[in-house]
Amino acid sequence: MRPRRSLSSGARQWVDRILFLGPATLLLVLFFLLPVIVDICIAFTDMGRDLRVTGFTTEHVERIAGGDRRLPQIILITLTYVLGTLSIFNVSYGLLLALLTTALPDRVGGFFRAVWFVPRASPSVVYALLWSWVVAPTNYGLLNQVLAMFGLPGLDLKSDAPMVVVILANGFIGASFGMIIFTGAIRSIPQHLFHAARVDGAGALAITWHVTLPAIRWQISFVTIYQALSLLVSFEYIWLITNGGPFYDTTVYALYVYRRAFDNGQYAYGAALALGLVIVGIAVALTLWRFFDMKTLLQKPRIEVH
Amino acid sequence: MDIAVPARRPSAADWDRLAAKARQRRRASMGLLYIALALGSLPILVPYLWLFTVAFSGRTGASTVVLWRTLAVLMPGLVAWSIIRLSVEDAGLRRMLEIGLAVVVLVALGITTAPYLHLDNWRFLWITDIADRLRGGSSGTGAKYPSVWTAFGNSLLIACTQMLLVVTTATAAGYYLSRFDFSGRAGYLKSLLVLHAFPAHTLIIPIFLLTYWVGLLDTLTGVILVIVALELPFAIFVMKGFFDAVPWDIEMSGMTDGASRRQAFFLLILPQVKIGMLAIAVFSFLRGWEEYVFVRTLLIQKSNWTMSLYLFWMIDDVMGTDYAMVSAMGVFYVLPSVILYAFCQKYLAQMTIGGIKG
Repeated sequence: MRPRRSLSSGARQWVDRILFLGPATLLLVLFFLLPVIVDICIAFTDMGRDLRVTGFTTEHVERIAGGDRRLPQIILITLTYVLGTLSIFNVSYGLLLALLTTALPDRVGGFFRAVWFVPRASPSVVYALLWSWVVAPTNYGLLNQVLAMFGLPGLDLKSDAPMVVVILANGFIGASFGMIIFTGAIRSIPQHLFHAARVDGAGALAITWHVTLPAIRWQISFVTIYQALSLLVSFEYIWLITNGGPFYDTTVYALYVYRRAFDNGQYAYGAALALGLVIVGIAVALTLWRFFDMKTLLQKPRIEVH
Repeated sequence: MDIAVPARRPSAADWDRLAAKARQRRRASMGLLYIALALGSLPILVPYLWLFTVAFSGRTGASTVVLWRTLAVLMPGLVAWSIIRLSVEDAGLRRMLEIGLAVVVLVALGITTAPYLHLDNWRFLWITDIADRLRGGSSGTGAKYPSVWTAFGNSLLIACTQMLLVVTTATAAGYYLSRFDFSGRAGYLKSLLVLHAFPAHTLIIPIFLLTYWVGLLDTLTGVILVIVALELPFAIFVMKGFFDAVPWDIEMSGMTDGASRRQAFFLLILPQVKIGMLAIAVFSFLRGWEEYVFVRTLLIQKSNWTMSLYLFWMIDDVMGTDYAMVSAMGVFYVLPSVILYAFCQKYLAQMTIGGIKG
């Protein structure tokens, strides 16, 4: 094997950099960086349904600051949705699943984790379809059939308690993320800590409280912050299951942004609304730095030859 | 915690009794755990089982007869299985009992559900203009519905192409970031980390506008490029992790023997990270196969529909409450995902990012 000598070391270095890093960088700039800039620009224009820009204006920002009377309600709904789903499912239920399944033999625990991973693994359209069938207000609805078996009257959850449906549907998916992270964390706790606690007479609850939970507190805060952001910006399942309705009862902020732009053709106002999410997104992403082990991430390479 | 000091040394018989008691208590608590988890998993299992049974047995509407019959067989089977697992300690005997149980359950399933099973709901696979026929053929607009195979092909094309792009670009970038030092490397990695956590769905309006301006709106190419870009930060970190784990000695000895950096990369390092490439390949294929939000926003023509759009519009526009055929379509769409997840679980489980602090 003979190294090529046609290029100088410096030139080869540049060719390598473009070959290896170029395509990825180009795509990231085109579809992450450029969109952020475009979004900021569009937010201050009058772009409407015809996608034409005829002038610049700050009316959208003013509208967000006080003109949009629907916005306070939307923000309240968003907070209910994010905090409800996060506290009940993404953190608590995920933690419960991780604790219970790691207490079982590996194969059985793995089976139950696989079951809870199914909603995440199946396409969103199918998952949403199942939810709308389960809570369908007719006699066909699975929930109503089960209720009828016990002699209870049927429910119409989608119009009477749409937020419950939205939280449940998103929570069943959200629980699996925490479950997986927590399972990995619990597995990596040294076994001798558990043995020591047992010898000292601790029961299962005491071990969970005094050994397991303190050992995985980093992961718990990571999941909390990361999932709060995911919930805040996600609207896919709500869009598919309730479409934000009835009226605006389950229209969360991210869905509101989307509908303003693509349903009402107010692209500029949508972009201005999205700016809020972009800012929150960047802020949360920066706080997540704390959770990564920068030392291993940034470890220096050991060969300087190019 | 106070420690009870035993008054006398327990005899061997006492130890045996204590051990038996402890075993029993453990078995009881395990049994309780099994039951709690099994009951807790029902809200997920039952709807999917329903989808499956209706796909193979529904006529019109959502008959649940087969679902209840299936459950009536499966639930006792599950209970029997957990009793076997908990009480039989001899491995050989346990295996025999488990196989026997499986046979009994299958036979019982056959007897109780066979009269209802049929493949009529799958006729959308061979009657390709079924949507037009159901709409009465004269919806007036003249825009024909695509066949399920068009949608299937589009989904497959999107998933495969973007899988190839993600794997090649992320592998190259991951290698460079792992093995080469350059000014701005730390900054590059840190901004990549921000991009990874940054939610791309917030950028959907500007991405839509960008694809419109460059003429990629309503093309599969546009969708593919967008999905590739959104998956890259994660994929690059996964690949960087795998490259970081390859010992430097391999590269150094290769270069001592006269290989260039590129030769070392292709001949020595790439074979070491096959698992990582496989993992991101499977992951990005699934992402492409299941994508809905960007596909819905960036694709307009009916002939560009993917499986997700096809299923959505069939439910929304054509079938209405014909649960039977919609179920079959749902199963048709879900199956590739489920199979891939089931077979590649162990590769997917190895994807981690540079280590969250422990």
